[in-house]
Amino acid sequence: MSVTDTLLVFVGIPAVAALVIAGVAYAASSRGAGGGGKRYRPGRPFDFTPVWFLSSPEALVDSAGTALTAGAQTPALTGRKQEQAGQQAPAGGTGGASDRW
Amino acid sequence: MTVGELQSSSETAAPPELDGPFSTRQLLRVDEAMRLADESTGLTFSIFVGGLDEPVREDAERRHRQLADPDRSVLIAISPNQRQLEIVTGQHARRRIPDTYARLAALSMVAAFGGGDLTGGIVTGLDQLASHAGKGC
Repeated sequence: MSVTDTLLVFVGIPAVAALVIAGVAYAASSRGAGGGGKRYRPGRPFDFTPVWFLSSPEALVDSAGTALTAGAQTPALTGRKQEQAGQQAPAGGTGGASDRW
Repeated sequence: MTVGELQSSSETAAPPELDGPFSTRQLLRVDEAMRLADESTGLTFSIFVGGLDEPVREDAERRHRQLADPDRSVLIAISPNQRQLEIVTGQHARRRIPDTYARLAALSMVAAFGGGDLTGGIVTGLDQLASHAGKGC
């Protein structure tokens, strides 16, 4: 084979193959299941509109929460201790957990 | 979509295309996990992803009170900007899901969130909470 043929076969084909694979990988990562291209990463700002998932239409009292009076009682954190002295928990209170990452 | 209602899985229509943090596939996963959790426990699970006003815990509980049946509801509030997770269980729900188990579920959720996987964390948390709650009445 001539020099040109050798170059084309042994350099060109791998280069084209690498470019094709890189292109496919890039296209897959930017349009993959990563939130439409804007994957959440800790530390990056989360600018999306708040989303509230409900399994069925629920009747909400007031989306802004202004239905609560100014003197609304603050529920206890875990039901076992009061947050601050003087604040009462509503009957029963709520439970759950908190955490941060 | 501020307060969103996710169609129940019995509908055949695809979820609306959101310009939000979740892709369609992730929405379907979350929807399926919520449906399974609701059906297997009889409690109502809801998930809020967005900013929470300070103090975060009280804001989460305030939102929990906005639900139709707060006593039987579990609200999972996730604030990615503040990197805080709040699980609020209603009065009846907390007897089914003790706070200890809620703490465990929160731990595994933040482990996923720390890696940047919102959907995986949500699905894992729902699965754990539902299996701890057991069969509903």
